[in-house]
Amino acid sequence: MALTLPRELNDWLERGLDRQLRLAVTGLSQAGKTAFLTSLVNQLRHAGMDAQLALLPCAREGRLLGARRVNQPDLSIPRFPYDEALAALGSTPPQWPAPTRGISELRLSIRYRSRTGTSRLFGEQRTLTLDLIDYPGEWLLDLPLLAQSYPEWCERMERLMTERRRRYSTAFLDAVAGLDPAATADEQQLAELTEHYGRALHSARHEGGYTFVQPGRFLLPGELAGAPVLQFFPLPGVTGERAAELDRLPADSVYQTLAQRFEHYKRTVVRPFYRDHFRRFDRQIILVDVLSALNAGPDVFDDLRQALATLMQSFDYGRRSLLSRLFNPRIDRLALAATKADHVTPEQHPALLSLIEALLAEPIRDLRYLDIPVRPFSLASVRATEFREVEHDGQRQPALRGTTLTGEEVLMFPGEVPASLPDADFWRRQGFTFRGFRPQALPDDGALPHIRLDAVLDWLLGDRLQ
Amino acid sequence: MSDPRPGQHFEIPAEGAPDHRRDRTPAFTRLDPVPGRHFPLESTSRPLAPEAAETPAESALDRALAHPRKRRWGLLGVLGGSLTLGAVQAVEGVREAWLGGDWLSGAWSVVGFTAVGMAGMALGRELVRLRHLRRHVRLREAVEDDTVSDGHGNALELCERLRSQMGLDRDDPHWQAFVSARQAHHDNRETRLLFAHHVLAPRDAKARALITRMSGETAVMVAVSPLTLVDMALMAWRNLRLVDRLAAIYGLELGYSSRLALFRAVLANMAFAGASEVVSEAGMDLLSMNLAERLSTRTAQGLSSGLLTARLGVRAMRMLRPMPFARDEAPRIADLRRQLWQQLKRVDAQGRQE
Ligand SMILES: Nc1nc2c(ncn2[C@@H]2O[C@H](COP(=O)(O)OP(=O)(O)O)[C@@H](O)[C@H]2O)c(=O)[nH]1
Repeated sequence: MALTLPRELNDWLERGLDRQLRLAVTGLSQAGKTAFLTSLVNQLRHAGMDAQLALLPCAREGRLLGARRVNQPDLSIPRFPYDEALAALGSTPPQWPAPTRGISELRLSIRYRSRTGTSRLFGEQRTLTLDLIDYPGEWLLDLPLLAQSYPEWCERMERLMTERRRRYSTAFLDAVAGLDPAATADEQQLAELTEHYGRALHSARHEGGYTFVQPGRFLLPGELAGAPVLQFFPLPGVTGERAAELDRLPADSVYQTLAQRFEHYKRTVVRPFYRDHFRRFDRQIILVDVLSALNAGPDVFDDLRQALATLMQSFDYGRRSLLSRLFNPRIDRLALAATKADHVTPEQHPALLSLIEALLAEPIRDLRYLDIPVRPFSLASVRATEFREVEHDGQRQPALRGTTLTGEEVLMFPGEVPASLPDADFWRRQGFTFRGFRPQALPDDGALPHIRLDAVLDWLLGDRLQ
Repeated sequence: MSDPRPGQHFEIPAEGAPDHRRDRTPAFTRLDPVPGRHFPLESTSRPLAPEAAETPAESALDRALAHPRKRRWGLLGVLGGSLTLGAVQAVEGVREAWLGGDWLSGAWSVVGFTAVGMAGMALGRELVRLRHLRRHVRLREAVEDDTVSDGHGNALELCERLRSQMGLDRDDPHWQAFVSARQAHHDNRETRLLFAHHVLAPRDAKARALITRMSGETAVMVAVSPLTLVDMALMAWRNLRLVDRLAAIYGLELGYSSRLALFRAVLANMAFAGASEVVSEAGMDLLSMNLAERLSTRTAQGLSSGLLTARLGVRAMRMLRPMPFARDEAPRIADLRRQLWQQLKRVDAQGRQE
């Protein structure tokens, strides 16, 4: 405490002076958070030298001096493994950084020269502290639980069960069908059912490609593996009147036990996670892997839409003022990034933008109402392909060249991205096959190739680098 | 409308595909995939009318240029006709002198022929330069139309055209910087931004410095000139010169008529500039004049002439720059005013000491 107080005071002061910024890097698992953070640190470290940051005015004008990682505020949280991530990208053959398995923090101190009047040649040197965190995307979807009660959650989960998704849950659904909510809870039985539920979530996520999987710790329990706090599941058929009826059941009934555990999970797992990491942000970037969702089909696409809409309700958005900056920071600017844009040819990027706007139409409407600036981007944090043009059947056409994850070199046109959500008919006829690529070999100067990361940085930080 | 095209795989030739770092306009539409439909043949249909062609809104410069275009045909006819006749007459004179042995008149005819030739060349140059200016205007309009689009495609082509219009070589360092900063995935807006930064910004800075310097000089000259008549001549000369040099900075060579046309356009543009802007600028000018109440009348006149020159310069710069200024890039009179004011105060103080 004695140690933290001066530091907190210092942070507070920095915030007041507008020299500190917390950026929420939000993305479900596999959306590309780790790649984004790695590339962000990499670009800022190489700024002014080898990094391609033409769209970041501060860098373009030569005012960006560079960045350094500094000690993060909370020493009990591991540091973001930047070096490991870069080592993975630099190995032969290059590999993607390992997926995040826990929370890590990162604090960057960015140095720049202020932009002064045209008369003076050199502006004053300033620093901007940027706080970032990385965390498993699976856990993110726990945040909306905070606003739900157990019966509400059960209802929600039931609504998610589409025809296709049901396929991944048959074992669980069959097992839970025989469970009487009014019966006295049997530990053994609940543990078994939890096991089934966890497996269902697993296959929905990894085989079906679904993103809306709750609770997140079932997929990636971290230190909680096997703990009784993780022994609950949604009961089917808990709707309106039935819920009120179930509410009157004795405390040792199955239903009440599950509800208690649900509340306990919220209280001891989700709330601290939210309180410690997700409350105070100034800027946000939402990374969305639109292409994989397109790949997986309409059901997954819709699932992603719901997941993101639900998720965005967990953040505070609002205009900034000095007071809110000090006491109640709120997100006052937002970037929506369709990640892995290097999987499609450049002339598809406008379509990708419309698509992500269509995907997030509902939350965007709310943000517009709050007058929060939002902009969509097509982003590739780490560009893995090269744009080419091929002569084919007498026609010139854009194409990609890259190495797939299995090591096969390909030259391909990955297909067009629809500019809005395609209808069901289309899915039946065609569908998409965007495939994964292995990163390019790390260039000699060490600056990672990227697409539009500079524009994203300008949007998120540009106004603080004046 | 069509479905998004499916993916395609290509063979990788041994030497790699033709290197592609350039964008081109994609020939396919990107629309919500709507299923195909069939209509009975006998249902009424008519040719798809192209969108009513809109006449593009003319810019002030275009208006000013278009107006004399009609009259110029007559003028051109007269000039061209007399040049041709003169040439014919001179040739005829030489022939007669040859036959008659009258060497003196023959020499005169040769001189006359040379004179006619030079005049013809001058006329030709004028026309070429005028055409340059018109092309510049058209190109600028294309850029302005283009600024609305964020799509992917033609911006690079446009920049390429701007480059040649501005008379830059491919290995011009500014152009090179632009080319190396620009990447295949940059869309139109980003490409324009980079072009403005790498190619135009250095020229903007030069133009701004020029305006400051010349308006300052004008102010001083008017302040020390003894006669009002001289003032007016001075102003006209200086302002023409300024527009000329600004044009040169943006790679435009002006002939006599194109210079006049441009100058007139700048004046027209200043008149059209929108009352509010003029009023606010005038208000600010008056304010600085109030501050300058202790200046002598001549110095005050100098100040206002200088301000006029500066404003004219800024207008001309806006019209000559091949891309419109982004919101916060445009030069502001206020900055110029301060510098002008300081320059004049010095002159005034010196004048009083003497
Ligand atoms: N081609 C390409 N693939 C990417 C990019 N970013 C992420 N990926 C892929 O997405 C996977 C997941 O990324 P990661 O950053 O680990 O996601 P996280 O779970 O949100 O941290 C990576 O293993 C890559 O295969 C990118 O910029 N380009």
